[in-house]
Amino acid sequence: MKNLIKYEFRKTLSVKLILLGTAALAQLAFMIGLWTGRERIYSLGAFILLLLAFVGVAVIGLTSVLILHRDMNTKQSYMLFMTPNSCYKILGAKVIENGISLLLATVFFFALGALDVSMLMAHEGRLADLWSLVTQFLEGIDSRITLDTETLMSFAFGLLASWFSTVTCAYLADVVSTALLKGKRWNGLGSFALFILLSALMNWALLRLTDGIASVRTVFLVQAGISIVFSAVMYVLTAQIMERKLSV
Amino acid sequence: MLESRNIVKKFGSKAAVDGITVRFEPGHVYAMLGPNGSGKTTWMKMAAGLIKPTAGEMLFGGRPVDLESRKEIAYMSTEPYFYAWMTVKDVGKYYADFFPDFSYDRYLRLLERMELTEGLKTPELSSGMMAKLKIAVTLARDAKVWMLDEPFNGIDLLARDEIRRSILEFAADDRVLILSSHLVEEMEAIADRAVFIKEGRLAEEDDLEELRDSRGVSMADRYRAIYGRVEVEA
Repeated sequence: MKNLIKYEFRKTLSVKLILLGTAALAQLAFMIGLWTGRERIYSLGAFILLLLAFVGVAVIGLTSVLILHRDMNTKQSYMLFMTPNSCYKILGAKVIENGISLLLATVFFFALGALDVSMLMAHEGRLADLWSLVTQFLEGIDSRITLDTETLMSFAFGLLASWFSTVTCAYLADVVSTALLKGKRWNGLGSFALFILLSALMNWALLRLTDGIASVRTVFLVQAGISIVFSAVMYVLTAQIMERKLSV
Repeated sequence: MLESRNIVKKFGSKAAVDGITVRFEPGHVYAMLGPNGSGKTTWMKMAAGLIKPTAGEMLFGGRPVDLESRKEIAYMSTEPYFYAWMTVKDVGKYYADFFPDFSYDRYLRLLERMELTEGLKTPELSSGMMAKLKIAVTLARDAKVWMLDEPFNGIDLLARDEIRRSILEFAADDRVLILSSHLVEEMEAIADRAVFIKEGRLAEEDDLEELRDSRGVSMADRYRAIYGRVEVEA
């Protein structure tokens, strides 16, 4: 299992290096802009970083799905499925790699964001006033919303877990497409419909099961828990189909 | 040691393998012969556990092929299958990480013999070099069964000699070697048994020495007789 995970990280290395390089450049622009007092440059850096935080996490998930697809549908599949590892381990390594990568990316961008906001506040004293205005405004809309660190972290964690479960839905749809629907005329459409259906089911469960919870922070955490349980179910189902039906 | 019982593999309505029952015993080098699309590769992939049969059984040591048998069966596909980011060294490390029977020292010796260096990147290898790398990494496993699918494809005469020498060097009494190839004459120099596959079925199984001694015909003659239109008899 350790070796499988190691190679899963290796397969996604180039994408992560591109993301990290872009983030480093944007951060550099932000800091240079801040030090030289050029608002346009640090605004641009901050904008790219914010965009990258969302796009980066999305790209990491999508890359994992694409790699699974390639690992089942090209000759490279022999590299994986010739080894004495069960499909539970092979898929498990992919799930773990993706979970760790998404978590690290979230922590990285969250920490970078916190650092940059602190730097910006120290540099531009009036931003602190603006921040408290935004907080008061949000509290005015809904008293449950507070913009403290814990709530933001719960939000990030909930979002991460939700995206992770979406990725596991995509794994299942892709495996169904390769193992069960290959050669069928409606393969692409069928597997895409399955993905949409599973994602909708999960979102319905997220809304339904958190309905009535007073604390926003608790809502995010419960949603994260539901997403993780959902991901585990998707994993077991997907590995089961691979083990029984997948030919490469 | 390795056998299939009435094994079938269908892709849609077409049967690529249609009820092959065959047994491979240790101590022999088998030539698996048949034209393109006859079912040789599909059969080998089922033995390697890459393809699930539609019906029938594939057995190794009397048990259905499974994760354990993958530790004992080394399969070399005819197509290149290494990850694009790999160097020749990475390929060896990968096999060492996953196959307990892989010997890195033997891999290095085979690389030297095949005139390959560890620093070469796999996407930059010519088809001949790629074929030699596949052979080297597969034979570096101390497997009980080696299955080499078209090992001589795209390889020049001198390299073919090296490969033939390596194959024969590692053949042993407790091992099974199964080679598929279109180069029938080439196979005649290596194999001592032949399995002819035709349209997904077992057409014939021969002991080549017996064929030559008692019937006075070669493997190539039988190939022509089975797949061609003219029956060659002594």
